[in-house]
Amino acid sequence: MEAIGYAWSALTTTPAAFAAVGGVVWGILGGALPGISPSITMALLLPFTYTMDPIPAIVLLASTYVGAEYGGSIPAILIRTPGTNAAAATAIDGYELQKQGRGGEALGISLVSGVIGGLIGLFCLVILTKPLASVALYFTPPAYFSLGVLGISVIASLSSGSLIKGLMAGIVGLMIATVGVDPVSGVSRFTYGAPELLGGIPFILVMVGVFAVSELLVQASRPEAKTSGKRQLTIRLPSWAMLRRLRKPQLIGSGIGLFEGCMPGAGGSIAAFMAYNEARRWSKHPEEFGKGSPEAIAAPEAANNTVAGTALVPMLSFGIPGSNSTAILLGGLLIHGLQPGPLLFQRHPDFIYGLYSGLLVANLSLFALGILIITPAVWLVNRPRPFLMAGIFALIFSGIYSIDNTLFDLYLVLLAGLAGYIMRLLGFPFLPLVLGLVLGYLIEANYRRSLLLTGGEHRVFIEDPISLGLLLTALLFVVGSGLRDLRDSRKRMRERDSKN
Amino acid sequence: MKLPDRDLWVGLGMLLAASIYWFEASKIRISPLDGPVNAAGLPKSLAYALGGLALLLIVRSVVSAAVGAHAAAQSQANASILNLLKPHLRAIGMLAIGIGYLLAVSWLGYAATIVALLLAVSLYNGARLNLRTGAFAVCGGIFFHFFFVEFLGIPLPPGAIFGHLLG
Repeated sequence: MEAIGYAWSALTTTPAAFAAVGGVVWGILGGALPGISPSITMALLLPFTYTMDPIPAIVLLASTYVGAEYGGSIPAILIRTPGTNAAAATAIDGYELQKQGRGGEALGISLVSGVIGGLIGLFCLVILTKPLASVALYFTPPAYFSLGVLGISVIASLSSGSLIKGLMAGIVGLMIATVGVDPVSGVSRFTYGAPELLGGIPFILVMVGVFAVSELLVQASRPEAKTSGKRQLTIRLPSWAMLRRLRKPQLIGSGIGLFEGCMPGAGGSIAAFMAYNEARRWSKHPEEFGKGSPEAIAAPEAANNTVAGTALVPMLSFGIPGSNSTAILLGGLLIHGLQPGPLLFQRHPDFIYGLYSGLLVANLSLFALGILIITPAVWLVNRPRPFLMAGIFALIFSGIYSIDNTLFDLYLVLLAGLAGYIMRLLGFPFLPLVLGLVLGYLIEANYRRSLLLTGGEHRVFIEDPISLGLLLTALLFVVGSGLRDLRDSRKRMRERDSKN
Repeated sequence: MKLPDRDLWVGLGMLLAASIYWFEASKIRISPLDGPVNAAGLPKSLAYALGGLALLLIVRSVVSAAVGAHAAAQSQANASILNLLKPHLRAIGMLAIGIGYLLAVSWLGYAATIVALLLAVSLYNGARLNLRTGAFAVCGGIFFHFFFVEFLGIPLPPGAIFGHLLG
């Protein structure tokens, strides 16, 4: 009852409902732009949340994630160019339907499945987060340190590219986090006399740089990449008979989305492709898959929208984000002084239930907004790429300046963008870097706190049972991933030898 | 044996970065408030970890080269250097536009430079210099100025020149 009170209060006394609607609109439009992932869409909004209250700020970001997961399906269906990675599975049959003149129907199926998946994801988020977070009450400083190490190790192991590069990216993130005044002794580190660096390098600058600026640099480096011809479309909602047919693939998609969302590093794209495959396996019409099957749109769309809810479970429970989008959400929480974990439920129940209510509004409004925004979204998809890039560049410069009113931040964003571009070029994943940066304080503070308690004895990390368990799990992930890398490398060599 | 791939250079670069970071970390002042681990403790550990991983990457690259696992990379390396550099030069050009904006905004002010930025980025990425592109830049500039300066009240730089003229 108390929870409902908090939720109602958030909706009636704060602009959370407006933030939810605004986030969905922004998310649909951002997700509809090919190359602009949900995380970039969220990163572009991050500067504007600085001056907002925590509840509307985080609702705005989380709703953007919800909207972007649907928005990605618009260009996927329209021009066979997924707006987001997770929409790649939708493009297969969505575009086939578009070619058959049933593009509006495909968008309707995508929207309805997305809303159903989003609501299921939200339900799972509400049910699972608090019990999981209560486990973290038993965590001591060594356990928190090990949790941070586990988070980076798991993400580095599961990120695309090699394990070594993933771990390196995580360490570089931790290194960036050490810039500024040391939180324990007050000694300044790596500031080189620049007063702007005393407070450290804000992770928002790194996030916007590595996600958004580096994407613009990549797009600028490929001038030949052009969008397809102009398309127009009117959305058509599925009939009752069609809805009955779509029940099974939607359930399959949501089930997979629930599982994958809770797993660090999995994310919406893996869930979407797994859902596509499973839906085909269980379908009465598997022969239609790849030729324009409505079920083939319903399953991945339900999956990636479920992930938008369930991906918040590990982030809110333990403070460990499993994807780029949830890393940005975590950044948003920390900007507002909210530390995820069990204490968040005890100290800020208003925030938690406010977030849930905001997400409910976001998922419900997605249905109406998905119909209303289709025309401007299609218009946006058809805009010339140079204009879109110029608009995004101007938005980054204006938005970042508005945080602290200093041009120094803009230089840092450009530097982070260049670093992100080089990382892409050399095959380094972003997420471990961002995670290292975001978790840097948690790791260092708890490392030093643990050693203060034991007079410098490092064995505290293996004497604490939770810490030991977490470190062993981290080791398992790293060793497992190392063996996988080795096996893949040998396989590639064998294939090459057999070709020669 | 083939030549080692780019990971060798990445590894060497990271090893250098780890060494510089360690050297800089060793210059961090030790405070009497420090506990068993001082402010340089974690940075030095991170430098060791990065250095260790860099060595692993180097070893892996050399071993791969020894067994000839990088034939594809080899053929790519043989391609014209200019062709390989071209896309990156284009990316750097985009970055240069951003730096140009930052250098100009203090002098010319936000209103003028945001229009110039919109125009420059559009043209650089393939838009033609015509009325449509000009209209996009001017209308976009007006929108950004109205939204950030008038609506949100952000004190974006008025510019030394215009600020001076306006008193």
